[in-house]
Amino acid sequence: MSFEHDHSHDAFPDEALPEGSVVDGAELARDIDEAFDFVVVGTGAAGAVAAHTLARAGFSVAMLEEGPWVKTREFGDRVYEAFRRMYRDVGTQVLEGHSYIPLIQGRCVGGSTVMNSAIAHRTPEDVLGQWDADFGLGAHVSASTLEPHFDALERELNAHAVADDVLGENNRIFLDEAAKDGLPARKMHRYERNCRGSGRCVTGCPNGAKQGMNVSYVPWALSLGARLFASCRVERVTIEHGKATGVLAHATGDGARSKGRTVRLRARRGVLVAASTIQTPNVLRRSGLRSRALGEHFSCHPGYGVGGVFDNPVTMSFGATQGAESTHLRKSDRIKLETIGMPPELAAVRIPGIGGELMRRMGTFANVAVWAVVVRSEAEGTVRQGWGGRDRVKLSLTTRDVERTRNGTAILARMMFEAGAREVWPGIFGLPAVLTSIDQVRLIEEAPADSRLFSFITTHLFGAARMGPTPEGSVVGPDFQAHEARGLYVVDSSVFPTNLGVNPQHSIMGMSRLAATRIAEAARRTAAA
Amino acid sequence: MKLTSLETRWAEAALGAIFPGSSDVGLTDIRAMDMRGFLDQVLHAVPTQAAIGLRVAVWIVALAPIFLLGRFATIVGLTQPDRERLVATLVASRSYAVRSLVLILKTIGALLYAGDDAVRARMLVASHAGTMVPLRLGRGRAA
Ligand SMILES: Cc1cc2nc3c(=O)[nH]c(=O)nc-3n(C[C@H](O)[C@H](O)[C@H](O)COP(=O)(O)OP(=O)(O)OC[C@H]3O[C@@H](n4cnc5c(N)ncnc54)[C@H](O)[C@@H]3O)c2cc1C
Ligand code: SF4
Repeated sequence: MSFEHDHSHDAFPDEALPEGSVVDGAELARDIDEAFDFVVVGTGAAGAVAAHTLARAGFSVAMLEEGPWVKTREFGDRVYEAFRRMYRDVGTQVLEGHSYIPLIQGRCVGGSTVMNSAIAHRTPEDVLGQWDADFGLGAHVSASTLEPHFDALERELNAHAVADDVLGENNRIFLDEAAKDGLPARKMHRYERNCRGSGRCVTGCPNGAKQGMNVSYVPWALSLGARLFASCRVERVTIEHGKATGVLAHATGDGARSKGRTVRLRARRGVLVAASTIQTPNVLRRSGLRSRALGEHFSCHPGYGVGGVFDNPVTMSFGATQGAESTHLRKSDRIKLETIGMPPELAAVRIPGIGGELMRRMGTFANVAVWAVVVRSEAEGTVRQGWGGRDRVKLSLTTRDVERTRNGTAILARMMFEAGAREVWPGIFGLPAVLTSIDQVRLIEEAPADSRLFSFITTHLFGAARMGPTPEGSVVGPDFQAHEARGLYVVDSSVFPTNLGVNPQHSIMGMSRLAATRIAEAARRTAAA
Repeated sequence: MKLTSLETRWAEAALGAIFPGSSDVGLTDIRAMDMRGFLDQVLHAVPTQAAIGLRVAVWIVALAPIFLLGRFATIVGLTQPDRERLVATLVASRSYAVRSLVLILKTIGALLYAGDDAVRARMLVASHAGTMVPLRLGRGRAA
């Protein structure tokens, strides 16, 4: 079946939605009890794609999303406002371990795709090879089973290399220097239509250019008859006689009218949980699943940024937020190097100094480039429910993870100096805050491999409801169905047996599309029988 | 959760030490901004654990003169240069907990300070071989 989207209209895709297709939990005046073929929890990369796939297959679908739907016309450029409205816990989540690592997630319609950089990468074949060799998934999840899904996603979301006219200096300097150094690098491939290079992906694309789920698969699913229950937090999946029968949710938001309102959605054919690696395990736990593997094997990609001050303007406020990368060292060193355009507020946190010293450096912001190393870490952690029902995530990076970060940081610092930076800000505690010559890069290489000396951040999350053939070591089977409950599927990256070493959205969407396609086929077969 | 007025004064002194503005650079002083209103908003919005972290950070900075300088004073009782030195010392503390908590203040302050129109406008002015060049924004192609 072909599915054509109309991109010619002037309205953004999150406007002019089918009448009655969206229920806003924050405005709910009564309890709700309705039935659908499938109920999907979460509207991020995984949930939106799954819902769209099922709706396109002709099933009635309900999507539930804990956060509000913040529309394209409401996006501003101030980070605090974005944190408050669209980020989980106002951007204050952390991984707890030997050090505290900020963990950033979206909590709004579209999930983390609303504030991400839209970088598209297929799942590396060596990673799929590992999933086969170590976890026995090859017959179910492989490059060939995923390929048609990746093809379709790339087509529908218009994944392509950043255009020259919106590349911007931060990305250009990186690419030029990589070319000089013989480091294979490329322009990012991103999901966008007419990106204007406003560098504002973190606060939501004001141009509707970035193809986040909020302007793609969510409205597309609605146009196929799906319904969305926004500002509705799923407390648990209801399971009767070993089968998922629906979900119980509560309205969120401050509205007095909606306080305490319940949303009960019954699922005739199945419930798909796609609440993200952090929330999914706890939704499953609240639903009564007791697998020993639940919440285990959590992994991530910690990221670490380096700043460099150049003589000429870099102007991170112009250019694709993240537009250049090198995956050359992914297999050998488990690191990926990339650029990241930072808004003034987030940059100000990392600009070295206090008081007058900080002010002086803030005055150079327009000449600052920021590049980052992203590590395919070896560390595994846990996702549990803490006091007050809060998600509690624990993970301590290994010494080797930190060594790899340090090596990547040194490579980036050297590249910056060679590209003409007059200062590099490594941000490593115990080192000079400002390096002024390439000879000082050895200080980075010699820094102790202690995660407390580095200011990491993480946005790529995996595991914690792992997929595997047997209930002993996994939560779901290769058919994405929970070992403990029929009709309960998990379709986000919590099922990934390992992390990837590349940006995960494409893999998440590919896996979700694969899962939903199979679930739809199985449901059709059952109906026919 | 809300800061008491005493805690708010400490927080304002700490943020004023971190973002004092500079007439040389052309950056406003954070004390000209509505710090109290912003801190109230933040404390209302963030989860309890984060609010507690912020509060502890305020207390650490406020009482640091006693432990670091041996002076029976809070940060409010110090001169501006001493406040800056104090916060810089805390951020460079060998204790991971202390420096991480104090960095929370820098983070919160940055959200307010660099979110200000005038500060943003100044931050986006590039220096080009020693001269200042106002940058053109939105030079991307038309939709
Ligand atoms: C700042 C940032 C930049 C990134 N950049 C990139 C990039 O460029 N490329 C890339 O590949 N990846 C990137 N990522 C990561 C990528 O966005 C995520 O991996 C991906 O969105 C995860 O998909 P998901 O569906 O599992 O979770 P999410 O997209 O986070 O969506 C989960 C949704 O479920 C909702 N939810 C949770 N619990 C409940 C509940 N109980 N009831 C109802 N709803 C619930 C959440 O509110 C959320 O909206 C970035 C992430 C961030 C934060
Ligand atoms: S950089 Fe491109 S995709 Fe990102 S916000 Fe700006 S226009 Fe949108």
